[in-house]
Amino acid sequence: MSGFFQATIYGLLQGGLLALVAVGFSLVWGVMNVVNLSHGAFVVLGAYLGWQLHSSLGLDPFLGMILVAAVLFCLGYAVQRLLINLVVNGPIFITLLLTFGLELLLVQGMNIVFTANYQSITTSYAGNAVIVGDIQLPLGRLLAFALAVVITVALVRVMSRTRVGMSIMATGMDRGAARLMGIRARHVYAVTFGLATALAGMAGTMVGVVDTFNPAAAGRFTLLSFVIAVLGGLGNMYGALVGGMLMGLVQAWGGYFLPGTWVNALAFLLLVVVLIFRPSGLVGKAFYSARLEV
Amino acid sequence: MAPTLSPAWRQRWPWAAGILAVAAAFGLQTQLYSGQVRTIGTIFMFVALALSWNLIGGYTGYASFGQVVFFGLGGYVTAALMTHAHWSFWLALPVSGLLAAGYGALIGIPLLRLRGHYFAVATLGVAEGTREIVTNLPDLTGGGGGITLPTVGAAASTKYLGNDGFYLVFLVLAALCLLVTALVSRSKFGFALRAIHQDEDAAAAVGINTTRTKVLTFALSGFLTGLVGATYAFQQVTIYPERLFDVELTVLMVVMVVIGGSGTVLGPILGAIGLQFLSEWLRQNYTTIHTLLLGAIIIAAVILLPQGLVNYLREARRNGDYSLLANVRRYRL
Amino acid sequence: MSATPVLETRGLGIRFGGLKAVDDVDLQVPEGQTLGVIGPNGAGKSTFINLVTGHLRPTSGQVLVDGQDLTGAKPWVIAKARVARTFQIVKPFRGMTVRENVAVGVMYGPDGMTRMGPALHRADEVLEQVGLGAAAGRSPGELSVADARRLEFAKALALSPRLLLLDEVMAGLRPGEIEPSLQLIRDLKAQGMTIIVVEHVMKAILAVSDQVLVLNAGQRLMLGPPRDVLSDPTVIEAYLGHKYAARQAAAQAAQPTPSPSAGAAPTLPAASAGSEEVSPDA
Repeated sequence: MSGFFQATIYGLLQGGLLALVAVGFSLVWGVMNVVNLSHGAFVVLGAYLGWQLHSSLGLDPFLGMILVAAVLFCLGYAVQRLLINLVVNGPIFITLLLTFGLELLLVQGMNIVFTANYQSITTSYAGNAVIVGDIQLPLGRLLAFALAVVITVALVRVMSRTRVGMSIMATGMDRGAARLMGIRARHVYAVTFGLATALAGMAGTMVGVVDTFNPAAAGRFTLLSFVIAVLGGLGNMYGALVGGMLMGLVQAWGGYFLPGTWVNALAFLLLVVVLIFRPSGLVGKAFYSARLEV
Repeated sequence: MAPTLSPAWRQRWPWAAGILAVAAAFGLQTQLYSGQVRTIGTIFMFVALALSWNLIGGYTGYASFGQVVFFGLGGYVTAALMTHAHWSFWLALPVSGLLAAGYGALIGIPLLRLRGHYFAVATLGVAEGTREIVTNLPDLTGGGGGITLPTVGAAASTKYLGNDGFYLVFLVLAALCLLVTALVSRSKFGFALRAIHQDEDAAAAVGINTTRTKVLTFALSGFLTGLVGATYAFQQVTIYPERLFDVELTVLMVVMVVIGGSGTVLGPILGAIGLQFLSEWLRQNYTTIHTLLLGAIIIAAVILLPQGLVNYLREARRNGDYSLLANVRRYRL
Repeated sequence: MSATPVLETRGLGIRFGGLKAVDDVDLQVPEGQTLGVIGPNGAGKSTFINLVTGHLRPTSGQVLVDGQDLTGAKPWVIAKARVARTFQIVKPFRGMTVRENVAVGVMYGPDGMTRMGPALHRADEVLEQVGLGAAAGRSPGELSVADARRLEFAKALALSPRLLLLDEVMAGLRPGEIEPSLQLIRDLKAQGMTIIVVEHVMKAILAVSDQVLVLNAGQRLMLGPPRDVLSDPTVIEAYLGHKYAARQAAAQAAQPTPSPSAGAAPTLPAASAGSEEVSPDA
């Protein structure tokens, strides 16, 4: 039974991190109705930046991720302002294609600069395990989980209590009305996207600590973000936490009980079932269920 | 001024042009050497794929981002039938298409109730999930290690077609897709598809059974895509789930249709030919960074020509306004 | 003329969570009648139409068309039963010409014309009927508001309907544009069509309705001849609010004998010339 508990705890820890991976994706989809197919690429980019900072400057990844967040915020802001804003009003597959092209760019760019080899950020302490009863809790994972949860909660605070956050929410609910009140939608969209990429980058750095990664992992992270965003409800940040934990549990239990990669099939089945029966997500109402676009 | 055609000819000249083009493609084969035959054959394959996606994604407006599931299913059904049951390819081919169509009808009924991004993501989920299922049935499909179709010796029920043979099969498939698209676009059925795309509620209110129409179209596009997948599997001889269910294939289909002009007959064809030539040229001249450049080109194309080449030309001719800059302003925030 | 009403609803209702948008509405519309439907904003008028035409599924009650139970039937089934509707916010097929817009209904409606040539021809006939004959080749995006509403009309008429539901077809029209619309409704009425007109423009309601149904908070408040309904105090209160009704009642009470000219019985201010909309105050 302890094996099962171990798997469960492991799943929850992983789930918290997955939530941080996905929350930016969910935000962008909920606020701007943009499905960012390059989201996973930003996660991996964050991992590489953290790795580079660690190997060149010896900067601890949990500190380096602040720098990573800043860099990726600027990058994300530029991408939205200069590229995605140009097609936001078009049919959905236009933005899907644009972000796909972006993904190709980023992944191939990373392949060229960093090569396709697997990397990971090894710190001296991450492998140490905190032992509670029979259960081993690797320190790195524990830290990643704690930080992910803290950041997500902080994000919710930012969204509901700061001017920036409220302008994002307002623009997400009714862009036309927001603009009439003086909110600069182009800027708000860019800030939202930048926020999403910054969060993705931070999550990526932490992923780098607990797992190995390479450019090809980008697609997997994007797909995971899809599932979690749908499970939790678009734009719903606490929902992303719940969705992430659920995903983490499904993966952990699946790996524990099922042979092979049935667990992935399960995850996709879950996604499709949720989409059919509760497209607004498992956690209450989707944040922006009715949207008016002007 | 161009000479005006009589009304009868105005209706018929696209058909004549299409038949001429297909005939020319048949004749072209004699002029090419083997390597080129292979390349052009692949172009025909993508033409067929693009046209089949265009039916559900372009005309009906339901952007299926899991279209590759039909490609993969078609391929694996053929592989299983030829390897385990020693069927002839020519029998496995239509059966693969029909099974893919059946799968499309099955998943279409629940999924086509979703719209926009939700539909796209759901189909993607189904495609990925189906790949996982295929990977986890090694007795039937060879699992992750792949499966090899019999092409030599006693087990081979059909002789391997070779570059020339596959050129012809892909050409026939492309012509079939072209025929289906042409028929759909000019028929009453095409009106229903366009009505659903342009306003689904209004379409239902004037008597269009939107559920049945959508499922039928999805199944039809699945049938055509499945046929292509089956042929591809035979051509490759050894197939793997990652390749047959590769998301990138779907995206390629979408890019080709969008850049060429979705919801038109000519658009997907131009898009497929153009993108394939471009991709090949890039691969040969900029081997290390060709995917990077491809990504950049996709971004540029989507920003400059979001409605696709054919639609852009049509509108530009009507309005006399060829400015690309105006085009960029069209969808921007 | 059969005695079965063209449209009958029994206890029709729909609830969204805790909100009953339409609540237990009983109605019988005999053939050839024009029924006006009024009610303050949010009363459930459009929801009622959506329930009848299958765009929403009722949570209680029944919808019968010509005696046939079509409760919860899909919109295309309702269309094939010769029930047509217009949408409050016009929904043209933007990529087709005006003619093609109408032809879709001709092809897929109860007449089910399979050949495109005759269908387009019939579409032209319908467009003539609504006065859009000249615009047949244009794109819907080029139409004025009044013409766009006529296109909605034409799309509905393409179904050769027995029952026509008009959802605020006069909204946003200038006074000069309202009369042609009214004339069209009168012509259809003369041809024996059964029409349900949901409106805020009281002049229109008065001009064409045989009976008027008042909805308030999803419930049927009153059904009767137009002038009776429009001067009924509970209806006025529903529209113009409690305070207005109280003021009017007080003004009435101050005059013990009603005189023919001054102090006329309070009515919703639309019986006079002009086409003011009525908007309820808080």
